[in-house]
Amino acid sequence: MDSNKKYWKGLEELNQTPAFVEKSKGEFAEPIPVEDVLNEAGLSTRTPRRDFLKALGFGLGAVTLAACNRTPVHKAVPYVIKPEEVTPGIPNYYASSFRGQSILVKTREGRPIFIEPNPNAVGLNQGTDATTTASVLDLYDMSKLQNPQLDGKDVEWSKLDSTVVAALNKAAQAGKQIAIVSTTINSPSTLASIAKLTAKYPTTTLVQVDPVSYSGIIEANKNSFGKAVIPSYNFGKAQVVVSVAADFLGTWLAGEEHTQDYIKNRDYKSLKNGKMSRHIQFESGLSMTGSNADVRIAIKPSEEGAVLISLYNEITGQSLAGGTTNKKAQTAIKLVAKELVNAKGAAVVVAGANDVNIQSLVNAINTQLGAYGTIIDLDNYSKQYQGSDAAFQQFLAAAKAGQVGVAMFLNSNPVYNYFNAEEVKEALSKVDFTLSFSDRKDETASLTKAIAPVPTFLESWGDESAKEGLYTIVQPTINPIFNTRQAEQSFLVWSGDNTSIYDFVRQNWEANILAGTGKSWKEILQAGYLYKGSASGSAYSANVDVAAVAAAIVADAKKIAGDVELKLYESPVMRDGRYANNAYLQELPDPVSKVTWDNFAAINPKFAEQLGLKENGKVKVEANGKSIELPVLFQPGQAIGTVSIAVGYGRTAVGKAGDNVGKNAYPLASLINGTVQFVAKATVSKASGTYELAQTQTHHTIEGRNIIRETTFAKYLKDPNSEAGRFTDTHKTYDLWNKYEAPGHKWVMAIDLNACTGCGACIVACNVENNIPVVGRDEVRRRREMHWLRIDRYYTISDEESNKYTKEKEINKADALDFENVSVVYQPMLCQHCDHAPCETVCPVLATVHSSEGLNHMAYNRCFGTRYCANNCPYKVRRFNWFNYWNDSRFDNYLNNEFTQLVLNPDVTTRSRGVMEKCSMCIQRIQAGKLKAKMENRKLVDGDVKMACQAACSANAIIFGDANDPNSEVSKALRNERVYYVLEEINVQPNIGYMTKVRNTFEA
Amino acid sequence: MRNISSVLGRFAKSISVSLVLLFAVTMSSNAQDAKEGAALFKANCTACHKVDRKLTGPALAGMTERHSEEWLIKWIRNSQALIASGDPVANQIFEEYNKVAMPAFSQFSDDQIKSIIAYVKEEEAKANDPNKGGAAGAAAASSDVNNLMIVGIAAILLLAIGVIVILSRVIKTLEKVIANNAAAIEAAKARNEAYEESRKVKFAQKFLKNKKLVGFTALMVVALLAVLGWKTMWNVGVHTGYKPVQPIKFSHQIHAGVNQIECQYCHGGAYKSKNASIPSANICMNCHNTITAADHYDGEISPEILKLYRAVDWDPDTRTYGNNPRPIEWVRIHNLPDFAYFNHSQHVSVAGVACQTCHGPIETMEEVYQYSPLTMKWCVDCHRNTEVNADNKYYDQLIEAHEKLKKEEKMTAAMIGGLECGKCHY
Repeated sequence: MDSNKKYWKGLEELNQTPAFVEKSKGEFAEPIPVEDVLNEAGLSTRTPRRDFLKALGFGLGAVTLAACNRTPVHKAVPYVIKPEEVTPGIPNYYASSFRGQSILVKTREGRPIFIEPNPNAVGLNQGTDATTTASVLDLYDMSKLQNPQLDGKDVEWSKLDSTVVAALNKAAQAGKQIAIVSTTINSPSTLASIAKLTAKYPTTTLVQVDPVSYSGIIEANKNSFGKAVIPSYNFGKAQVVVSVAADFLGTWLAGEEHTQDYIKNRDYKSLKNGKMSRHIQFESGLSMTGSNADVRIAIKPSEEGAVLISLYNEITGQSLAGGTTNKKAQTAIKLVAKELVNAKGAAVVVAGANDVNIQSLVNAINTQLGAYGTIIDLDNYSKQYQGSDAAFQQFLAAAKAGQVGVAMFLNSNPVYNYFNAEEVKEALSKVDFTLSFSDRKDETASLTKAIAPVPTFLESWGDESAKEGLYTIVQPTINPIFNTRQAEQSFLVWSGDNTSIYDFVRQNWEANILAGTGKSWKEILQAGYLYKGSASGSAYSANVDVAAVAAAIVADAKKIAGDVELKLYESPVMRDGRYANNAYLQELPDPVSKVTWDNFAAINPKFAEQLGLKENGKVKVEANGKSIELPVLFQPGQAIGTVSIAVGYGRTAVGKAGDNVGKNAYPLASLINGTVQFVAKATVSKASGTYELAQTQTHHTIEGRNIIRETTFAKYLKDPNSEAGRFTDTHKTYDLWNKYEAPGHKWVMAIDLNACTGCGACIVACNVENNIPVVGRDEVRRRREMHWLRIDRYYTISDEESNKYTKEKEINKADALDFENVSVVYQPMLCQHCDHAPCETVCPVLATVHSSEGLNHMAYNRCFGTRYCANNCPYKVRRFNWFNYWNDSRFDNYLNNEFTQLVLNPDVTTRSRGVMEKCSMCIQRIQAGKLKAKMENRKLVDGDVKMACQAACSANAIIFGDANDPNSEVSKALRNERVYYVLEEINVQPNIGYMTKVRNTFEA
Repeated sequence: MRNISSVLGRFAKSISVSLVLLFAVTMSSNAQDAKEGAALFKANCTACHKVDRKLTGPALAGMTERHSEEWLIKWIRNSQALIASGDPVANQIFEEYNKVAMPAFSQFSDDQIKSIIAYVKEEEAKANDPNKGGAAGAAAASSDVNNLMIVGIAAILLLAIGVIVILSRVIKTLEKVIANNAAAIEAAKARNEAYEESRKVKFAQKFLKNKKLVGFTALMVVALLAVLGWKTMWNVGVHTGYKPVQPIKFSHQIHAGVNQIECQYCHGGAYKSKNASIPSANICMNCHNTITAADHYDGEISPEILKLYRAVDWDPDTRTYGNNPRPIEWVRIHNLPDFAYFNHSQHVSVAGVACQTCHGPIETMEEVYQYSPLTMKWCVDCHRNTEVNADNKYYDQLIEAHEKLKKEEKMTAAMIGGLECGKCHY
């Protein structure tokens, strides 16, 4: 054991609470009452022999009778006229796009079942985030509306149309505004259809507002550069990144794209070339991005501006007033400023605050660092968030004044996600005619007069433009399932245009987008995207009155400074709450806290102690005159004096799965400086009652084993083997078992701990691919989540304090820590497909056996549920089906109705109650890849087979392939010096190699 | 006489052999062509033509005698052009076949058309050859070990009963000889008539008195029931011979047997997909928009074909489709459980397994039934015995590894992991 660092999964493991010690001894969280049955009383219970025989006889007879049913007659119904492109059993792929990303939709027999990134979209994002992969489930959501509604009753489209047109005419005659309230629209064809409506009804206005607003950046750029846009960022060119509360790997702007670029400077290929970027994060709550930073400084939300002022001072040598007084931050800023200046042209500062002044100051700093034209691109700017808080303010004012005749809500739900819902309701009541395009009767739609439900993107024609110059196509993969109609089609119909939406989109492309490119519509449908932008943006110089901005920042900071400061954030899992009815997402653990099915008040353990809070307790958070009660989560890394709450929870009208999950935190936001800001001065008080969060983090313990290897970049440069701590380097091993031959393929995996950001996209991809059931909050509490792949999150104390806290003198010193400076390592954990698998030797029925391709097979129909294998698995990756999740009314919210089950992958069996399951290494994909090679009469080449998790990973942290092919990417990766195998000392010979985590800390 | 006939026979044989050889030699120049022609013919012509009978188009046998090669090439390449040019023969054929135009095959080269003609000639010759061999039968079902065992056991049991009966008789006779005197025998003779009447009863009583025999019979009955029970239990869920009534009396014997339509024509999925797929009704209509089997039904359309027309909503009088198709609900015969993954293309295209290996003599089936048990044992047995198709380049690496091991003479599916759970269960 080279490292003297101590890692822990949860605070109870660090503190070794008695309850935890007790629980960690057992295989299962809840003891199985074996003793109760086998104790003397249990054995001496008198069951008369006759009763026993009666019961036995009846049981036998009943089971026999129950088993005697006629073999069901199966029908085989072929097409009458088979579409030429459909061959039953062979998937079809369609290029489409989701939130501006070019994707491929896999369909089987006409059903969309999986979404993966478009591999041909060179240069675009090659991974999908959790919401993208999970979105396929939304198609099969039972909570959606099946017909248009008027006054809460189902009507025909013709009736709805005549009503809407009458209302539009009335508004137009009265000269009243017709407002389309929407989240950002970057689709050229949607905009064109709105333009059609505007042409017919000139009072039409488009009000764009995003629940998580970025209008601060837009305003700041308008002031600094005269361009009211959000730039796009290329973190691939950044060697030094400073982020002040921007979760840029997760939710901030284009998180997945940032991840892909950012990791290129940190993954094994970059390290091999001796290069690694440095990332410093200042933030209050421990965000996913912060957990990946090399150095992380916990600050209060009110200090964000001050940190940037200090940074500006250090970089430019000026001395603006209002710098930070936080000692740790000051030291870090001194060091980091030097780094930034040295790396001019390859350094960038980003800030998460939705505040004009803070963003203006950031613009000034980035100008100094020469980031414009290299990392920050104002020419090929992002079009993902164009919402304007001011525009929505104006709409509300106009509506309240009775100036709005018709209000239509497109992808917009302000009654839920605007901080002042009462004002929205009041405004709605004063509008003559209201309509929502929501696909369900959500919070806003239930207040509108009419609902014109739209189909999901998988049923629609359309397009998107997430970035200037980038156009992606949206093409349907299935006919609309319900009686829905695209909003664009509705706009056309209401403006008296009878063009079908397909013709409209196509004509719009051919006239405006494809003109001059020499590409045809068909080619675009096949490619899925078109990029017309330039390679990189040109340099810009910010024109900022720094002194005035700094003064404003100081003034605003005073408004939110207090003993307790609140920070609202968007969780990378639930995002802004629009996907709340997606059970896959609800059950995906939050990357850092590992909480599922809830939001919570994250408070530093030390601070919580001061407040007298206990774990599993509840807390009342008050801010801006509103309050909510939430369960407490002790969050290491959280700045003392702060509380973080995720927005996107607490929906009340989203559907079966998502209703009343968590609490709505949007009302705690406020309007500061003209923009909606997620920070506030708050008070926190203990509330009555207890609440157990459904966390996946404490479900397994590491028993102090050395399974995480971590080194620093400096050490790595001296010795690439540093801290790899390979057991086989120092010990000779002996085998009890015969060696398994793998003459054909040997499937292995390499996981780069330095690339994994812990986002969880792989988990959702695995769930969708492998038909993994959703078990719900209660079952997660019982530690029965079914995820085959989990991402373990380990905390450790940052270097500075680790001297105080080493293995030798651990527990007592824990009290002395303030838990602000923790660092985090993520470790994706899945079946290691051990060559000497301990599970295989204990299975009494040979349900789990080894294959000649190095895989550990699991035959569900042999398994009869002894769970010996789970008990004997050192990695705790086996999952037991406690229920028949596919056909059990207790799991009614999720995947047990016939319609939703259409999302299932037909190549993978759904497991029944009482059997064990685990990662199969996507064996259906391996078999399909092999068959494809055989059909083409060729050898299998590297890259033919991709795991679902691998396909989803933007960071390329998961590399899969054939170890028998010395030139495969995985073979190359596994020859890396950083590779180690988890628990290799017990000689189970796992087939998944991990690469040590490297942290580019300050060498001071 | 015998000698003479055998000599004549041998002579005839040698002549026929030399004739065949001669024929083969003369044909050998065309052999390659005929092979290419066969592929082209099957891919392009079988939908409308057969060599020996009329289909949508005329029977092709003797076409080289009826027409010159140049004419045939012109006709095949673009029959419409030939008709338009006013060729009398062409127009006659066009009229004769209800003005159904033969599609143009402009993609064919002269040589390709010549190979098709060569193939037709070859087929013609085969059809005329009286010694043509019967169609290759389906692979014989492997001897059922279970049945053999039961028959054996039954035989042994019968033998044992016989032995016991005979032995007890012998013992009794000996006892009688020792114990009874002649007088007793006389007395018995005197009571002979009465004895005759009660003989059957006596026999039963005797039988019942023989405890060994009773015991043994009881044991046998129990054993028989056990064996039957065992066999029944093992066959729960095995539906060999399952022959449900289908909504349309579709005969594979007519289509695959008599008309020799390639399996692939209808079940294309078997060659490229997991599912063999039941053909969509529009595939049936490719032929059945002209074939109505009216000659078998006194000029009326066959009632079974009418069912097809109803399904696709085709009006044979106006020859138009309606808007109200109703899919045909076939009854599925081969039902594999959901936890077993089976892929047709792996077996048919990669391994080259004939359809008949699993589906039996399908070309003789009036109604299709389940030929194979579809049990795991049956799958595994085949995997144990089937050699891997070494022509496929995918297997190169495995074959190389196997060469090194040199354990067995042939590499079976089982040796490369064909028996592993995860090959079929995931």
